[in-house]
Amino acid sequence: MTATPPRTSATPQSVGSAETAAAPPSPSGQALREIRKGVVAMWWGFFDWIAVVSWKKLLLVWLLALILGGILQHPVPVILLALASFIVKTVAGGKRRAEIAANEAVKRAEREQLERTVVEARMQALQAQIEPHFLFNTLASIDQLICTDPPRASKMQRTLIRYLRSAMPQIREGARPTLGQQVDLCSAYLEIMAVRMEARMEPVVRIPEGLKSAVFPSMMLQTLVENAIKHGLEPKAEGGRLEIVAEVGDGDLFVHVIDTGIGFTPKGEGGVGLTNVRERLRALYRDDAELIIAVPPGGGTRATIRVPYEVAGT
Amino acid sequence: MIVRRSPAPTAVVADDERLMRDQLVAQLKEAWPELVIAGEAANGREAVALVQGQEPDIVFLDIRMPEMDGIEAARALAGRVHVVFVTAYDQYAISAFDQGAVDYLLKPADPERVALTCERLRARIAKAPEPMDHLLAQLSERLGPAASAREYLRWVQASVGSNLRMIPTSDVLFFHAEDKYTRVQTPRFEALIRKPIKELIDELDPEEFWQIHRATVVRVDAIEQISRNLRGNQVLHLRGTDEKLEVSRSFNHLFRQM
Repeated sequence: MTATPPRTSATPQSVGSAETAAAPPSPSGQALREIRKGVVAMWWGFFDWIAVVSWKKLLLVWLLALILGGILQHPVPVILLALASFIVKTVAGGKRRAEIAANEAVKRAEREQLERTVVEARMQALQAQIEPHFLFNTLASIDQLICTDPPRASKMQRTLIRYLRSAMPQIREGARPTLGQQVDLCSAYLEIMAVRMEARMEPVVRIPEGLKSAVFPSMMLQTLVENAIKHGLEPKAEGGRLEIVAEVGDGDLFVHVIDTGIGFTPKGEGGVGLTNVRERLRALYRDDAELIIAVPPGGGTRATIRVPYEVAGT
Repeated sequence: MIVRRSPAPTAVVADDERLMRDQLVAQLKEAWPELVIAGEAANGREAVALVQGQEPDIVFLDIRMPEMDGIEAARALAGRVHVVFVTAYDQYAISAFDQGAVDYLLKPADPERVALTCERLRARIAKAPEPMDHLLAQLSERLGPAASAREYLRWVQASVGSNLRMIPTSDVLFFHAEDKYTRVQTPRFEALIRKPIKELIDELDPEEFWQIHRATVVRVDAIEQISRNLRGNQVLHLRGTDEKLEVSRSFNHLFRQM
């Protein structure tokens, strides 16, 4: 560090104030205003520098400035300057320092808020993806049930409404989504598919009661369940089993969606939903969460979401 | 060609959902009481077997079915039977073929629409089924534009320890040849693919992955910077790993501009 900051900010200041006093109505008034603005900015720069610089550094600067003043045979202004900066630092320094810190915190908070808004907007767009094939086929099934089994038709229609509510973008509530809620939302989809696929789909849900209050991000389990049925079980003539299992290990919550379907195909559009899940996990947890797609020895697919284990409301 | 006239017209109904089959059968009974339902199939393969065994006049094929979809089944049965496609969601604009050799029904169909289809069928089954090659080719083009365009790997199947995992290619940093296998490196772990790198390269998107060495393929987006080693070779530094990858001279041109 050198003595430059106080010197550069001090010298133009005196020059500037002298000039403003000397030439008021000249055509260069605009230029003068600019200079004045620059000087004011510089003064505040100097002020901020004094506020945040350590006493040790300030002492060093005074020493160097004094030596320089001695060499130039003008020690008095330097001493005055040192005195002024001492007063500024003791009287206003702390307040200014706090102000600067507060400003930075506000800026950081604004940026974080913005990032969060962007992420949330994207999430809502992702949530509003209801598969048209699913919707039209379900409506056609309800139409058939209206003729043959009206009470069941009514039940299925209500289930469809429950599903649509869960799949539509929701206004975020204060509470964080829990695993229990997410499983409930999936159950509407599972109920509909069980009516349509009959014996071709055997759902098994194994969530320990104690894990239902665990925090779990929204619309991820649903994506995995829909994928397992659409890409795993529906394309298989005899269908198969769909399991939703949750467990805790090493401080993490693991939620598995296991199907005995035709198995994961490495090509094609099947991965869009999974890519969204991965992106959202990254947005929410950075590196503390992941989506793992495994191929069980017996065939089919096992999709696992790992997130930090947290109980909602703590 | 099979020329056969049975006293009553017959049909096979194929759909993977029983409710949907029931619905169509009920509607057909209403619109065309003489039509005999010779059988029902729950997937494309069953439909083909049933038509080959029963030799009905008409087959109603749901487009999305397991094992073999409706279009494939129609292709297998071309010239043998009159085809009506059935779908809940006309994603591929089959309605565009409305007046052609193939009819279609949207589920749930209005009774009037079913009646119209039956009327058309009465006229059609007097003649031999028309060949549908051209039409089916057009249809399958709509069904899967990817069938013609090349599809690249988006996931690789690799073993991590004793487990088999699907790893998205967007997670891969690089592939490296190890004898008959290929090692895949991600920011979190490494895994082994049971496939030589030469075969793998053909399946990877050349926009996403570049070969930089006889034994190394790198994901372009993972490259952080390029430096030179003491021998003057280019060396790639990747995001998410400390491992450095040497670019062999024959691939130097890839990074000339950088």
